[in-house]
Amino acid sequence: MSELADLPPAPDVVGTKLDGTKTFTISAAENAALCRSTGVEPARDGTAHPIYYYIATQVAMGQTVAGLCAICEFDVEEGPMMGSSAVRSSAPLRTGGSYTVTGEILSLVRKRSRKLGVMDVLTYRLRLHERDGRVVLETDNVWVLPRKELA
Amino acid sequence: MSYTVGDTLPPFMIESVSADAMKQWAVFLADPNPIHLDVAVVKAKGLGDRVINQGPINVAYMMNMLMAAFPGGRIEAMDSRFLDNVYAGDRVVATGRITAVDGDRIDCEISLDAEGRGTVNSGTARVRINI
Repeated sequence: MSELADLPPAPDVVGTKLDGTKTFTISAAENAALCRSTGVEPARDGTAHPIYYYIATQVAMGQTVAGLCAICEFDVEEGPMMGSSAVRSSAPLRTGGSYTVTGEILSLVRKRSRKLGVMDVLTYRLRLHERDGRVVLETDNVWVLPRKELA
Repeated sequence: MSYTVGDTLPPFMIESVSADAMKQWAVFLADPNPIHLDVAVVKAKGLGDRVINQGPINVAYMMNMLMAAFPGGRIEAMDSRFLDNVYAGDRVVATGRITAVDGDRIDCEISLDAEGRGTVNSGTARVRINI
């Protein structure tokens, strides 16, 4: 990485809310199809595949992927890339369970790399809530937004 | 069942990553990004000549490895870094190694390798086992 004094700053989006407005329900049929698409059978105890941490939060947050990119003044057609994803969970997700999402953008940092040129590194946090409001998991996702126009 | 630091976990393998599964995941994720669906788009973007697996599927493969290694266990925490793309037709293997044991909690290093291209995803996980 190198200094970026010659570049305009990344958009000021820290704190932007990503709260969802809809409820996400994990259907048993979709969970079964998802499990089989990854090479395993669904659990018999009603627990959903743990990757629903990512799916439920992405689908039920207050923005589409394109919308999240747009907040960062980035065209989704330019190809955002997943950098990393982390989750901390307090209970299993269940088929038939309904969840809502809250969240916010934690940072958007402009960097320069040898491989990708100028890029913005977006970090956002989403929380998945049970019906009673209890947080069942929290996830931090990092996306790399290549800024080809600034390379 | 006893677990010891340094133990390797049984690998989880996908013989050939499925383009049809990517179509399913476009629906699951509500994200119709064409690099997962249309080879012509992948070629036009200079990203290769096969459709690209959605990143969360690669995470799911590593989760499958953990769930098979610790039956009845629950993944309490996990982080993964996306190092390279996985393409349709790739043979991928998820592996892991125990790095710490604290009562009913097991910490592991995990990774996903694509045959011929090395590690495409790596990270750590904490699993609460069912004692």
